[in-house]
Amino acid sequence: MTSNKRHPSSFRDPSGYVFKDQNVFKRVINPIYFRQYRSLKDSGFFKKLFQNKLLISHTEDQSNDSEIVIVPEHIPFITYPYEWSFLQYKEAALLTLKIQKYALEHGYSLKDASAFNVTFHNSQAIFIDTLSFDFYIEDQPWRAYKQFIAHFLGPLLLAQYHGTQSLKLLSSFIDGMPMRQLASMLPFKTKLNPFLYSNVHLLAKFEENYNDDYEGNIKQTKLSKKAQLNIIKSLYDFIKKMSLKEQSEWGDYYSKTNYSDTAFKTKSEVINRWVNSIKPKTLIDIGGNDGTFVRLLNNELEQALVCDIDNNAVDCNYKITKTNNEAYMLPFVLDILNPSANIGFNNEERTSFLNRIEEYAPDITLALAVIHHITLSGNVTFDMSAEFFANFSRNLIIEFPKPDDSWALRLLNTKGEFRNHFDFYNEENFEKAYLKKFYLVEKIDIPNSKRVMYSFKRK
Amino acid sequence: MHFLYFDPSIGAMIVQAVVAAVAGVVLFSKSFMFKIKSFLGLVKNDDDLFDDIDVKDSDIENNKAGDK
Repeated sequence: MTSNKRHPSSFRDPSGYVFKDQNVFKRVINPIYFRQYRSLKDSGFFKKLFQNKLLISHTEDQSNDSEIVIVPEHIPFITYPYEWSFLQYKEAALLTLKIQKYALEHGYSLKDASAFNVTFHNSQAIFIDTLSFDFYIEDQPWRAYKQFIAHFLGPLLLAQYHGTQSLKLLSSFIDGMPMRQLASMLPFKTKLNPFLYSNVHLLAKFEENYNDDYEGNIKQTKLSKKAQLNIIKSLYDFIKKMSLKEQSEWGDYYSKTNYSDTAFKTKSEVINRWVNSIKPKTLIDIGGNDGTFVRLLNNELEQALVCDIDNNAVDCNYKITKTNNEAYMLPFVLDILNPSANIGFNNEERTSFLNRIEEYAPDITLALAVIHHITLSGNVTFDMSAEFFANFSRNLIIEFPKPDDSWALRLLNTKGEFRNHFDFYNEENFEKAYLKKFYLVEKIDIPNSKRVMYSFKRK
Repeated sequence: MHFLYFDPSIGAMIVQAVVAAVAGVVLFSKSFMFKIKSFLGLVKNDDDLFDDIDVKDSDIENNKAGDK
């Protein structure tokens, strides 16, 4: 028996569990799932999913009568549904449907459709729960149907009608949106759409009506495979066509900056010189927008995590990443003022952003044009932000907009009568706070701008 | 055999018959409209970021799936 401790997120499914063996994630398969596993393996089903990059590939580590251990391909940084942009969320939903259709056609079915079964790896969504497949039972409806609506269609619809903040709902509803709440939040016109009426409103009603039925009528409900395939296909068609109203803002970001062309060029040259002297393999760009600055680096990276608070910027970045097939790029949504927390049972099921990034330990952190937001919008002191960055950055390249920079000025002006309270916002205090945690490597004033670049090394 | 480690909701199992019927009508009318549009030359080829639902399969396996 493997004596390793199971991962705290891996307890729901009795088929097996994930554990960490000397920093390598492995998956134990219990005898209860042997039949399924062997069938999936021997029929070539797993292989086909690996080839099409739909399911994370694995190798078999050991196999005996009491357990089979598989080692999945390593994913360096896991992102969760509440950190995905709209396009990423959409892709994860489509991936799940695609896999379910393929499974149905080959005699299997997904037994769950949790959004946490998907993550992003090599610039695309990938299914990571290898034990989610079971045999298809003739004429049985899809057990994971409601879960799919609660995890995928619900948040996507709310994002479409109420904005992308709705994509963060799974951080409160780890088991998916409650149906009734979802139905009540959608506008009336959705009741007139047969697809939305049946998939959301009617589902919510049926769920409520049968809530007290403990008789186990579940076995009596029947649905032909063709009918189930129709559900899957119509969901796929609908989700594929979903789009955001805000999309037109795309690609407009760098025309909105207050940089002159020469200042922009100098800034990128300075960053490149510093990055090249460190030769990082991994990088995180906090406030990386659509990834413009990471793409200007001429140092070859294994992976670049590029996060931004703005869903549209991440969407834009993801679109470029996907179109150019940039496997090293991992865009995701991050609000530095409220990064994802530890959630779930014992607060251990889904790890906080800070825990994940500390473990990942990127070689270098870029924080370009974010410090004024953290300090002036978030009221976070320099000491606090320095400590935050020092938690996970060995090297920090940070841009400081001076108090008379037009963006900093705009933020300061919103402070009204409390503006004097922010008099501490200047280079001197910034340096004083950051030098408690970091050594200064170099400092450069960007000509033709009110910005200063700093390269720091952690103490 | 299914492991009932989460509640699929009985209502959600039953409602699928209705959802599937609606889906059938929607899919049928869409493909009908598509045929008319392509007949009239109105079909636009959008450049899609995402593929269609079908997994790229080898011919042999396609046949197998078709046999079922």
